[in-house]
Amino acid sequence: MTLNDKIYKWLDDRFKLSELLPPIVKHPAPLNVVSNPLYCLGGTAFLCFLILVITGIFLAMYYKPTPAEAYKSVEHIMTAVPMGSLIRSVHHWAANTMIAAVMLHMMRIYFMGAYKKPRELNWVVGISLLLITTTFGFSGYLLPWDQLAFWATKIGTGIAGSIPVIGGYISLILVGGNDIGAETLTRFFAIHVMILPIAIATLLGLHFMMVRIQGISGRL
Amino acid sequence: MALIEVEKHEVEEEQKPEPVRVRGLPFFPHFLLREVVVMCLIAGGLIMLASIYPAGLLKPADPFDTPSPIYPEWYFLYVFGFLKFWTWDLGPIPAKMIGVTVPMVLWYGLLILVPFIDRNPSSDIRKRKVAVTLGVIVLIGILYFTYFSIVHH
Repeated sequence: MTLNDKIYKWLDDRFKLSELLPPIVKHPAPLNVVSNPLYCLGGTAFLCFLILVITGIFLAMYYKPTPAEAYKSVEHIMTAVPMGSLIRSVHHWAANTMIAAVMLHMMRIYFMGAYKKPRELNWVVGISLLLITTTFGFSGYLLPWDQLAFWATKIGTGIAGSIPVIGGYISLILVGGNDIGAETLTRFFAIHVMILPIAIATLLGLHFMMVRIQGISGRL
Repeated sequence: MALIEVEKHEVEEEQKPEPVRVRGLPFFPHFLLREVVVMCLIAGGLIMLASIYPAGLLKPADPFDTPSPIYPEWYFLYVFGFLKFWTWDLGPIPAKMIGVTVPMVLWYGLLILVPFIDRNPSSDIRKRKVAVTLGVIVLIGILYFTYFSIVHH
């Protein structure tokens, strides 16, 4: 009995792995999914998400969310931290790729009619994921606290603020005052690294569970 | 690559349980191997892009110095484009309110309701002319407003 067998047996005795694993491991991927590269888009988005989590954690170790320190810390990441420039740039590109992949994934679902019964709710969850992904992008845009970040956020929150009825509240919640400043930066940081990650992880779990239960929609 | 046939038992009615054969690639190891290869390609592509075009950093934020032009992220450009494009008041509703509400609230509202609006049960693209036409029109519209926002800056 090799060491691997011993570890497997130890786990199997406790968690019934021999019953648990086969349905996962032997579950066949349908041929149309295997042969059509359009089915890669959702997985691409998820891979980008994982890369974003990892690079994001590294960035959070050096980033300081105050107006006085934010720009300097990003500059420090880009020039002094080993691999810092690569990590931030991969974070940047993975974010843009993720949004593109999510949008293309949605277009595939739409044009293939894959949102129809019984998958209506998964479409709703998917649109929420699209919203969360773009909000991720919007909140991350401010964090470097450079000219582009500041003024794009000023205009963006201004536009959100002119939505009838709820706009004023949205703007107040996001900006945390009348003008973009320290309050806004800490809010955007909290939204970007705490609120949205929890929201997206929950919805991704639901998204994948529904795919698992209902299967991938049939041929075109 | 080994294609195998997996047996699945249908639990339907009192018909004799005939095994339904699903042709496909077993998840482990064949499908997973393919996925890992694709993942490596994407990760490699991202690292290459990041090395050639590093993320930018402009001058520090200055609330008293408005730069021009200011572009939002590319996926919000269509909102700006529509806001610039729509200059007509509709009765008591000011043009700006329409310009903000249509591409954000109305657009996402309609998008979420798609499966409840489109009651056509067919997923055959030839039997979904209305949905496909509307989809193409919306797509062209979004591309047009994105273009509009870049040109009319």
